[in-house]
Amino acid sequence: MKKILTIAKKEFLDMFRDKRTLMRMILIPLLAFPVIIYLITALQAAESEKEATKELVVGYHLNGQSSAMIERMDTTAHFKFVPYTDTTSLSAAVSNDSINLGIWFSSSFDQNYEAREQGEYGVFYRSADMEEYDRFQELIKIQEEYLVQERLAQNELPAEYVQPLLLNSQGGNKSTMTETIAKYAGGILPYIFMAFCFMGCMLPAIDLFAGEKERGTIETLLVTPVNRVHILVGKMIVVTAFGLLSATVSLVGLLGSLYLMEIDPELNQIIAMVITPQLVIMLYALLIPTAIFFAGIMIPVSVYSRSFKEAQSILTPLNMAVIIPTLVGFLPGIELDYTTSWIPIVNVVLATKAMIAGDPDFGPVIITFVSLIFLSAIAVFISLKQFGKEGNVLR
Amino acid sequence: MIKVENLKKSFKLTSKQQKEFNTTDTEAKSVDGISFTCQPGKIFSLLGPNGAGKTTTLRMLSTIIKPTSGTIEVAGFNVDMQANEVRKRIGFLTGSTGLYERLTPDEILKYYADLNDVSKADFEKRKKHYYDLLDMNDFAKKRIGQLSTGMKQKVSITRTMIHDPEVVVFDEPTSGLDVITAENIIKLIRDCKTAGKTVIFSSHIMSEVDLLCDDLAIINKGKILYQDTMQHFRTNMKTASLTAEFIRIVNENQPINA
Repeated sequence: MKKILTIAKKEFLDMFRDKRTLMRMILIPLLAFPVIIYLITALQAAESEKEATKELVVGYHLNGQSSAMIERMDTTAHFKFVPYTDTTSLSAAVSNDSINLGIWFSSSFDQNYEAREQGEYGVFYRSADMEEYDRFQELIKIQEEYLVQERLAQNELPAEYVQPLLLNSQGGNKSTMTETIAKYAGGILPYIFMAFCFMGCMLPAIDLFAGEKERGTIETLLVTPVNRVHILVGKMIVVTAFGLLSATVSLVGLLGSLYLMEIDPELNQIIAMVITPQLVIMLYALLIPTAIFFAGIMIPVSVYSRSFKEAQSILTPLNMAVIIPTLVGFLPGIELDYTTSWIPIVNVVLATKAMIAGDPDFGPVIITFVSLIFLSAIAVFISLKQFGKEGNVLR
Repeated sequence: MIKVENLKKSFKLTSKQQKEFNTTDTEAKSVDGISFTCQPGKIFSLLGPNGAGKTTTLRMLSTIIKPTSGTIEVAGFNVDMQANEVRKRIGFLTGSTGLYERLTPDEILKYYADLNDVSKADFEKRKKHYYDLLDMNDFAKKRIGQLSTGMKQKVSITRTMIHDPEVVVFDEPTSGLDVITAENIIKLIRDCKTAGKTVIFSSHIMSEVDLLCDDLAIINKGKILYQDTMQHFRTNMKTASLTAEFIRIVNENQPINA
């Protein structure tokens, strides 16, 4: 045990002095989310402000109908209405982007409206600028509401005439906030954990085996009176620990940025409700064997590889094999059950979602945990076999 | 003492390697039935061209790889059965030995001392001895990556000797080093001899062998072609120089154990 700790201690020291390690496993996971969230919110805010104040030029063709509706809409801020003599030129103007939108009326619009029928109109828009269309639709809705009220007043009818249903305040949402969060956003947490855990394991796994071969230090290590199993375990502890560290740092970065940037106070309350000590303990109970499993699949590759580059070129595509199953967490219909609990990675994601929801079925959770332990044991065994092969170590 | 008897090592060839070497053999014999003995207080040299089987032999002596057959005894312990006991008593240094670039000499030496179960008092005593002897005090706390090749070699030497091994294995220890740096190694090998340690070193530089060794074996294609004392080698030479004699023996390729 003493030798294992000596090896682990030395590897920690060595890794922490590596600038690449600090960048990729601590700094990037820590800053990734704050930077992304800051940029997205700042960009969104700037874009929304710009869009809201941008003047939309709307062409219209009355087709001999009343201009009353256009006149009402023309009073709205940041809208400008320009007349056109026919729909062809109106359509062309929208197509070539010389105006933002176009509206035309049928030749029987006024007559139909007066006859209590539907007045027909059309809109030219460009789906590439949907936000402009959406803003105009808001304007149209206001007009429609205005015309409904006008008709009701003409016929001396109450507003309830066109609102025959009334939703009683008794009743409402019966699922808890955490259940809703777990269903729709619960996939994010395990996704972050798994992705960063995998990336966190990768660099040390490569450096501690392929890197040691490349630097020519492996032979002197093998001549010391230390059992190879102890050497492997000492190094594996470091690989696993860096996976966990990277995942933890990324989560701290995400939660920290949500708190510090004060994007939404309600969101902060929800997070405080979801991230309980019990959840964190259970999450790590699943993540530790997962990290060992990741280390166990990376180490044989690294042991086999002649160089850092060779190991990296094999392990990098493996990243996708982890990322893709974690995306299952974003699909609302799939839940942890006696079948999905046997699928590696998917089971961790779904178990985490179930735990966030606060209603985990303990049978599948136990299967998930046991299968992870079993898989990590297999991975460690394969690592031991590969590390024991002299052809690999001295390749 | 090192006793090697009928030592063999073969490696399985992959189909790619079979094509590369243009052979249908499924395995390659790297070491093919060699025997020799290295005495304490003497320097034994394993001489041979590149690919002769020197490194494979020394790796087997050092427990890094296992023999296919034959026996090796190092300091009275069987390499195959008592590998850990052998490792406690062996020092291993190669010309291509690397060091951990991000650690300091102090940290590296402490690491290897701990792995070799060296007591704190012995560690401090030996460290001071080598630091003074090799003039290492000035760079003891600098990272290896910042040191010159010569400084690194001094660290490697101290690392090899930190547990005071009975047997020291040098695999082409001066390969790639300049003459001044190589001189440190030559001095170390001599000191080991004076201290009564068993020393085996491999080389393909005849002048180095002439300078140091008491006994030598010439190895080629996994077989020992010549084995005797250095004194007899010099006396019985059929050519004008040591290097020419070495080349003659390798070219004639008549193994003594054929």
